[in-house]
Amino acid sequence: MQHETSEKGGALVIAFSGDIDLQTSPDARKALLAEVGKGSPILADLSGVGYIDSSGVASLVECLQSAKKSGQKFALVSVSESALRVLQLARLDRVFTICDTIDDGIAAVS
Amino acid sequence: MAEGNLTTLEVPSGKDLGVSSSQIHSHLELLAEMGQSFASTGDLNESLYKAVERITESVDAEGGALFLIDDTGAYLDCLACVGPTEITGLRLSHDQGIVGHSVQNNEGRIVRDVSKDPNFHQGVDEQTGHTTKSILCAPMSVKGERIGAIELINKRTNDGLFDSNDLNLLQVLASSAALAILNARMSAALVEQERVKRELELAAEIQRSLLPEDGDIDFPIKGVNLPARTVSGDFYDFYPLDDGRIAFTLGDVSGKGMNAALLMAKTASLLRCLGKSIKEPGRLLAIVNDEICETATRGMFVTLVHGVYDPACGYVRLANAGHEPPLILSTDGTFKAIDAEAPPLGIAPSILGEESFPETDFNLDDGKLFVFTDGVTEGYIAENVELGIDGLKDILTAPDAPAMAEVLSSIAEKIGGFGNALRDDVTIIGIDDELAAHTLRTPDLNSKPSATELLGEELMRLRVSAKANRLRLIRNAVRETSEFCGFSKTDVGDIVLAVDEACQNVIRHAYGGKGIGDISIELRQRSDAMIVMIRDFADPVDISKVKPRDLDDIRPGGLGTHLIQEVMDEVDFLPPPIDGGNLLRLVKKIKG
Repeated sequence: MQHETSEKGGALVIAFSGDIDLQTSPDARKALLAEVGKGSPILADLSGVGYIDSSGVASLVECLQSAKKSGQKFALVSVSESALRVLQLARLDRVFTICDTIDDGIAAVS
Repeated sequence: MAEGNLTTLEVPSGKDLGVSSSQIHSHLELLAEMGQSFASTGDLNESLYKAVERITESVDAEGGALFLIDDTGAYLDCLACVGPTEITGLRLSHDQGIVGHSVQNNEGRIVRDVSKDPNFHQGVDEQTGHTTKSILCAPMSVKGERIGAIELINKRTNDGLFDSNDLNLLQVLASSAALAILNARMSAALVEQERVKRELELAAEIQRSLLPEDGDIDFPIKGVNLPARTVSGDFYDFYPLDDGRIAFTLGDVSGKGMNAALLMAKTASLLRCLGKSIKEPGRLLAIVNDEICETATRGMFVTLVHGVYDPACGYVRLANAGHEPPLILSTDGTFKAIDAEAPPLGIAPSILGEESFPETDFNLDDGKLFVFTDGVTEGYIAENVELGIDGLKDILTAPDAPAMAEVLSSIAEKIGGFGNALRDDVTIIGIDDELAAHTLRTPDLNSKPSATELLGEELMRLRVSAKANRLRLIRNAVRETSEFCGFSKTDVGDIVLAVDEACQNVIRHAYGGKGIGDISIELRQRSDAMIVMIRDFADPVDISKVKPRDLDDIRPGGLGTHLIQEVMDEVDFLPPPIDGGNLLRLVKKIKG
């Protein structure tokens, strides 16, 4: 799994690619939580995620909760088909703000 | 060495020898010394040399040589020699020269002037340049068994000529040396015998280590093996499989002794090693048969029964390769024999032109199964009285029959305790399904499906370390296999997710994240479904604690079990395998 953080339209965009599983989710979690407390809204770009498991989903949930506490908005953008399937199975598709594109995400968290 | 007892010989009196009493005393001393030298030595040649040296000195000769008949009896070999001419290593034909003549006729000889004796072998003098004037030769034999001869050359005094007193003395000394040599050979043979015996005992120990250890009292399969000799051509084995079933084997190698024992060791090892991954008894026997045919000594074969027993439901599937029919004992006390439908292993490769030996399957339904060698039924329980198949059945159905282990040892005692040496190895195993029903099939587990019910075609099996970095490997294997089964893209993703989550549970919970131990994953295809068996080797987990979480409770962790149940059609913990660990079965139906 790889991730890259950038700024776009006032939001912090963390783009993930590869598999987020038990092996790699600690890194994903760290990358997400590193942006908590910086004030700007956070967007997790999941377009390149081929696989995500419960531990990866848990990292997203944890980031959502932490961001909320620090007053930051958090949204998922460009969620790949397989990642969306797991979020649906976990009934988390209604908990997260999920947007089709980064621009939609920026608009949603602004 | 035909005679077991050490032989004594009569020593002629001093009068016969024509010597004084002080000479006799010193000669007796010489005899005693020689006897001791042979008895205490580890080096026979050294003792032979000492004997020739002392005898030559005692008779006051210039030189002496000791010849022994070789193993074939065709030659006389000079093994020790003193004096001016070194002929140690000289080999004569058994009837050559004065020595040969003396041995042939078993009589001593004096040749006062060798130049006039037709038997004298000139060759040595010609080679050495030494002049032989007179020869004294006495045969060495004990109770008619010829060993060789001692030859002396040239008396130091008396113009180099020997007289009859010298011959008498040499004959006594030669007899004594013969006895000492014979005794030394006998004790060397005893040492060799002892060494062979020790090696046999070591071999027997290794063989015993090939037999399975006695399981717990609750383990439903027991066995006994009583070798007729130190090593055995019989064997039995049983071991748990990944899916909770138990593989069992009992075999009888043709012949007895070391060659049978070695083939037994090979067959038992092949079956144990291959039997853990090839769970179809017929297919396993076909593979082992080909292997034995390729490498076994011609004319040796193995009769064998190999099967797989599911203690969770009593189902047995076995293949019989030319072996004595195993007996099923039903709860109503009736017997059913399962005849062999295939020839013994090692007779011909792929004799059936098929990939598998024929199998028989049945359910024990709380009954018992006995597999045994003909050493049991043909074992004597009294003078010329065999136990017989009926005798065996009587023991097995005796009222108030004790537990399986005791029943088997009572059979072994009945045959082994008769006093005479065993006619053949005695080997028997018994499967007690009633015991398994009591101990393993608790009401709770009784309703659970057993490993047997999921038989289908095995598509893929992998066993990897329970570590997070192995999950990707597992996912890829499951993805490929699911696609092979024809599942839709979404279903494939779901199956991969479920197996991944189940394996995570093993890594994180069963092994506590320590990464010590393996996960075994078996992917099978049935006509209606794909089945995934996930096995770990950790302590049994409390199934009641493995619950899907409440989805309204949004917090990290605890999602995995919910996801598995969400996507799979059946999720069941099977009865725990008999050798520990946990076994989870996932079923995904193939939509028709």
